[in-house]
Amino acid sequence: MDTNLVLEGLKFMGLGMGTVFLFLIIMIAFMNIMSSVIHRFFPEPVVSEMEVQPKDNKKIIAAITAAISHHRQS
Amino acid sequence: MKIVILKFLTLLMFFGAVNLYANTQETATVENSTYKEETYKSKPFSEMMSGFLASTGINAFLNPDPNEMNAHGEWMSDFHKSWGRLIMILVTFLLFYLAIKKGFEPLLLLPIAFGGLLANIPVANIAGEHGFLGVIYNMGLANEMFPIIIFMGVGAMTDFGPLLSNPKTALLGGAAQFGIFGTLVGAVALSQYTDIFNFTIQQASAISIIGGADGPTSIFIATKLAPELLGAIAVASYSYMAMVPIIQPPIMKALTNDAERRIKMTTLRHVSRLEKLVFPIMVLSLAILILPESTPLIGAFMFGNFLKESGVVERLNDTLQNSLINTVTIFLGLGVGSKLAADQFLVADTLAILALGVVAFSVGTAAGVIMAKIMNLFPGNKINPLIGSAGVSAVPMAARVSNKVGMEYDRSNMLLMHAMGPNVAGVIGSAVAAGVLISLFQ
Repeated sequence: MDTNLVLEGLKFMGLGMGTVFLFLIIMIAFMNIMSSVIHRFFPEPVVSEMEVQPKDNKKIIAAITAAISHHRQS
Repeated sequence: MKIVILKFLTLLMFFGAVNLYANTQETATVENSTYKEETYKSKPFSEMMSGFLASTGINAFLNPDPNEMNAHGEWMSDFHKSWGRLIMILVTFLLFYLAIKKGFEPLLLLPIAFGGLLANIPVANIAGEHGFLGVIYNMGLANEMFPIIIFMGVGAMTDFGPLLSNPKTALLGGAAQFGIFGTLVGAVALSQYTDIFNFTIQQASAISIIGGADGPTSIFIATKLAPELLGAIAVASYSYMAMVPIIQPPIMKALTNDAERRIKMTTLRHVSRLEKLVFPIMVLSLAILILPESTPLIGAFMFGNFLKESGVVERLNDTLQNSLINTVTIFLGLGVGSKLAADQFLVADTLAILALGVVAFSVGTAAGVIMAKIMNLFPGNKINPLIGSAGVSAVPMAARVSNKVGMEYDRSNMLLMHAMGPNVAGVIGSAVAAGVLISLFQ
């Protein structure tokens, strides 16, 4: 074979690593843009989740404690 | 046809044993009328006996049939027909041991090893075109179907949350792909300057993709670029993935100092459902624009992830994650195992592939760790270099290794979720690298 395979391999490496990093850097940029857009324009679900959960947990804990104490008494 | 005659002969053996030479002629004639009339000729019992003995496995191992061809209808040496097969059967026993006793990726290693055992049976030709392993291979491996389906299932199992909450860790998943391209150069250099191996650049590419530590991607690329090396590449790929906890920690420890290993990373922010839902579509759109060759892998991966994150097709998501991926894993393993036939596996190239595979893996691990150290030179939140090693895909094993090594130095340092970011980015990275390799050979 006349072509220098090692040189070919190095070309592959340059192109391959270049593409991988280019892809990931663009992906990172888009991820940042996307999350800032979503946080600015569609923030509701996060807030409501935060509010609802602790309340629910307290109620559930209260119910369980009541049930346990009831069970122990009887 | 052959099987019918074989069955017929075994039946006759049974009758012969019962009657002890009596009425053999008669029995044969009676049976004769119920089966073929044209082909069967009455033979004396002694001849039947010797014919049957000639068709046993013992005879096939001791006196290989000079006319027997391998699964592709090519000539194979006597060594590969006799001792080669016995050696391969012992190799599959070793794989059984590793899978069952040592717990090395048993889900895939067991089907692969059993496929290998079946492929090395003489006479029966199970891996041949009409044997069931051959049928499985042609059904889904020769056309790259099974790896794609596995990718859908993996997508449905993947949570991009950790990556979305700390996007820059994706770079670690990119750096680890250096293992692929570094090994590619090494493999072609080895073929160029030594006479031991003579890999073409396609074969070298297929081998080096082992460094991506991604089983389905390796199989996908190997079937496309170098199907003759599939067995060795798949076995190397899956065994190294299973050996991640052994291969990676020494490299990670050698490249980091104590202070770096104790770095605590800031807690991950909450990721909203909408972000997770948009992400797969976003990545797929980028792949379409930049590298359409990678879309079979990335498309399947994101399809599975999209179904999961949509939250409205729980049944499909469940099928992808469980029954479908399990079914395909069985077929994939058996199909790959069919390539463990002695004439294809017991060649010098296999040793080179195993050696290059472990180099690819180690280089990828090292590149990920070094990348994390480079990123720490820039201002911003510090990254614990131990999660860099998770940039080689091997989900979720590599992330668990990062976590475990981190815990060795600081019990309270939980790196698992942080390491999942580069880990899933590594899957995307190796799919992109695979796309580049494919596009280069178009």
